[in-house]
Amino acid sequence: MIVAELKPFEEIKEMLGDYQKVLVLGCGTCVSVCLSGGERQAELLASAIRMARKIEGKDVTVGEKTIMRQCDPEFIDEIKDEASNYDVVLSMACGAGVQGVSQNLGKIQVLPAMNTKFIGLAEGEGTWTEACAACGDCVLGVTGGICPLATCPKGILNGPCGGTKDGKCEVSPELPCAWVRIYERTKDLGKLKEVKKTIGAKDWSRKRRPGRYSVKEKETVKS
Amino acid sequence: MTTVNIPPCQAACPIHTDVRGYVSAIGKGDAEGALRIIRQVNPLPSVCGRICTRLCEKACRRAQVDKSISIRALKRFAADRAKGEKHVEKPLNSYEEKVAVIGSGPAGLTATHDLALLGYKVTLFEAQKVLGGLLSEGIPDYRLPKKMVKKDIDDILSLGIQAKTGMSLGRDFTLEGLLKEYQAVFLAVGSQKSLIPACAGSNLPGVMAGVDFLKQVSKGKPFHPGKSVIVIGGGHTAIDAARTCVRLGCPEVTIVYRRTLDEMPAGREEVEEAEEEGIKLIYLAAPVEFSGNGKVKSVKFIRMKLGEPDKSGRRRPVPVEGSEFEMKADTVILAIGYAADAEALAKNGLEIGKKGTIVVKDARGTTHIKGVFAAGDVVSGPLSVIEAMASGRKAAYAIHRYLRNISDEETEESVELRSLDDRISGLISPAERQKMPVCNVEERVRNFDEVELGYSREQAIREALRCLNCGVGASIEENCASCLNCVRICPYGIPVPGKETVEIDISQCQACGICATECPASAIKLNIETKAESRAELEKVIDAAREEAPEMLVIGFYCRYGSPLGAPFEEDEVYWIPKLCTGRVTGSLLLYTFELGADGVIVHMCGDDGECRFRDGSRRIGRHVREAQKVLRDTGMGADRLNIVHVQEDYPGFREKLGTLNINPLRRGKKVKI
Repeated sequence: MIVAELKPFEEIKEMLGDYQKVLVLGCGTCVSVCLSGGERQAELLASAIRMARKIEGKDVTVGEKTIMRQCDPEFIDEIKDEASNYDVVLSMACGAGVQGVSQNLGKIQVLPAMNTKFIGLAEGEGTWTEACAACGDCVLGVTGGICPLATCPKGILNGPCGGTKDGKCEVSPELPCAWVRIYERTKDLGKLKEVKKTIGAKDWSRKRRPGRYSVKEKETVKS
Repeated sequence: MTTVNIPPCQAACPIHTDVRGYVSAIGKGDAEGALRIIRQVNPLPSVCGRICTRLCEKACRRAQVDKSISIRALKRFAADRAKGEKHVEKPLNSYEEKVAVIGSGPAGLTATHDLALLGYKVTLFEAQKVLGGLLSEGIPDYRLPKKMVKKDIDDILSLGIQAKTGMSLGRDFTLEGLLKEYQAVFLAVGSQKSLIPACAGSNLPGVMAGVDFLKQVSKGKPFHPGKSVIVIGGGHTAIDAARTCVRLGCPEVTIVYRRTLDEMPAGREEVEEAEEEGIKLIYLAAPVEFSGNGKVKSVKFIRMKLGEPDKSGRRRPVPVEGSEFEMKADTVILAIGYAADAEALAKNGLEIGKKGTIVVKDARGTTHIKGVFAAGDVVSGPLSVIEAMASGRKAAYAIHRYLRNISDEETEESVELRSLDDRISGLISPAERQKMPVCNVEERVRNFDEVELGYSREQAIREALRCLNCGVGASIEENCASCLNCVRICPYGIPVPGKETVEIDISQCQACGICATECPASAIKLNIETKAESRAELEKVIDAAREEAPEMLVIGFYCRYGSPLGAPFEEDEVYWIPKLCTGRVTGSLLLYTFELGADGVIVHMCGDDGECRFRDGSRRIGRHVREAQKVLRDTGMGADRLNIVHVQEDYPGFREKLGTLNINPLRRGKKVKI
């Protein structure tokens, strides 16, 4: 799941400048799940904008709305009419959502309220850690299901490096060394031999930007 | 057909009173609101608040934790305390048709009330001189004061009812004659006949029926039962007769019942109170012979043992051979039950069944004579007051449909909430059931004053707050993102990941509200103290506060369970709002308070985690406060405007910091518009 966090309020306030009619748009999927950009947070942000403006003695109309996903045009269509009443949409989605809304709403300025952080894994109540670097060439099959790219600060494919100490990373004493974890896990699985092999250079051509994935195109190539 | 979830108390009540609704109102100290809810379905609140057989309490799920809610006592509290406002509803329609109701017991009174509210002109006929049937004559004053019966009846009569007392069907008028004047007739003449055991000597002078005895005493006829009285039976009438004898000065009163205390139809408290008053109880014995010379002198009993269960589910008593014993008695009162006695009505053309009841064609009380309906004891045999009321209501609506020629209404299908799982009941903290204050024994045996004195306001609120609010917990809306936050934070572990969304078993939910306040998608709806209600209440309090124009306006939230009797402490500028757990105060509600113009907000912390009614609610509020403080800091309002206070001593520190921030910049003058 994509994890994002709210930008500092000062930055949001500055972005919004003197816009009079602001639609705060929550997203009902990833950012709801990571407790940062769903309906509840949209309500708090709207409240903050109203307060800040009033304190400055400036008028503002703040609308609040949350749609299922901001990365799908069909969901964005639901708010087309309503959005036309506003000067600006403040999107609380990940970067993809912000662009989805921007491209589908026509001539309305869309601003990002969030900083998109990573693809993460839940660690229980309210905490996520990065787990996938979206490299396009997955190695989890030989690393015991632990990604060295996303969980090792250096992202090295053959570790550990000399910076590991008592199972922790030199970057932070709280951070477990990704390669020690990989070693322990593959040992438990009886697959230590696999991980002792050198992993060759990754095929970074698969990480061409902009990334693109189309089921239709794949099928055309096959036939 | 629609399906509704109803709590067990409401499902068990024959007239489906919104028990949870009125108990909740009493929890807020609102007796008026409670009585309004009760009166929506119950025209006899003062009566039922005293003598209802309370099927609701038997169904109450709190009993799985400790003891059921004392629902009847709370009803009485509402009926006794609500004043200043008339709670009797007014008819919405007015029809030309006239309806005659024969019999003014609970069935007749309820039908009269309902028919009048539906818009009919009702005349109520009663054979006795006073209205109320057995309510007025068969229940002693110490349990149900006559003035309370009168109070309820007067409210019913205020709907414009014409009451004709001393008018007996068959003696003073006929059914045929009535049908010329009235378009419909409802027969609710009750049970008239006392059952007498089939044993020798039961017709001896000194042997009398319990109901007849109570009627005589109730009419004020002087009666001296002698030195020793034996009462035979185990129902309310038996206990009532025995306790009445004590009050008449009889020194030796013994109740003999053929089963044991567990099978006794009388209430456990009644039995305890009777024992306190010196009444002896002998279980597992039945009379075989009454003997005496011209007047009863003694009773021969035989010992019983319990055999297989009978139709009522109670174990059938079986005589133990050769176990006879004898007891002396100056008076014997038989209270083994009574039955309908409608034989006399046969000549009116009604079909009479074997047990002396009127035979009806359907559950709504339609008889074989067009326009004539019957219900209550005279149809079913002896019923409890509340059951008789329910049958009266059914008949009233059947009469309405008959007169208006409308077909049966579509009914709602209700689903009763299932029992609490053992895991859940084990997580609910016990709270002692409030004891009903009673008049002390030495004093009460000397007169007919009411024994139960009714709850104090404090007791009523504490008792009402024991209610588990069954069925008004959280429900998942379709915009659930399945983030599983609720699954992770529910202190009872009730939400579970489902196929499409998270699922919450409403029958187990404790309505703490924690999941809803923390749901990032606002996809959990609370069915008690909803978001809209919370906002509306806040607006009301702030509006009222503005009228007083305090220099500084501080809103305080506190937990109703932590401070049941009202605000935790008083400070001039603090306007308090009670919540069902402060964990329900969301960050957005805190911010809204400032948007409405409050200068400061405090949240009273009810206690440490262990003391929170909902295990975890008090910990949650800390997060909500920090969340709102961040916004206050970010916007330049100042985070010090908001804080948690544990005790009054924390307040001056908060007030001092608030003083440095001055008034809320969103507040322009006295009145603030957003």
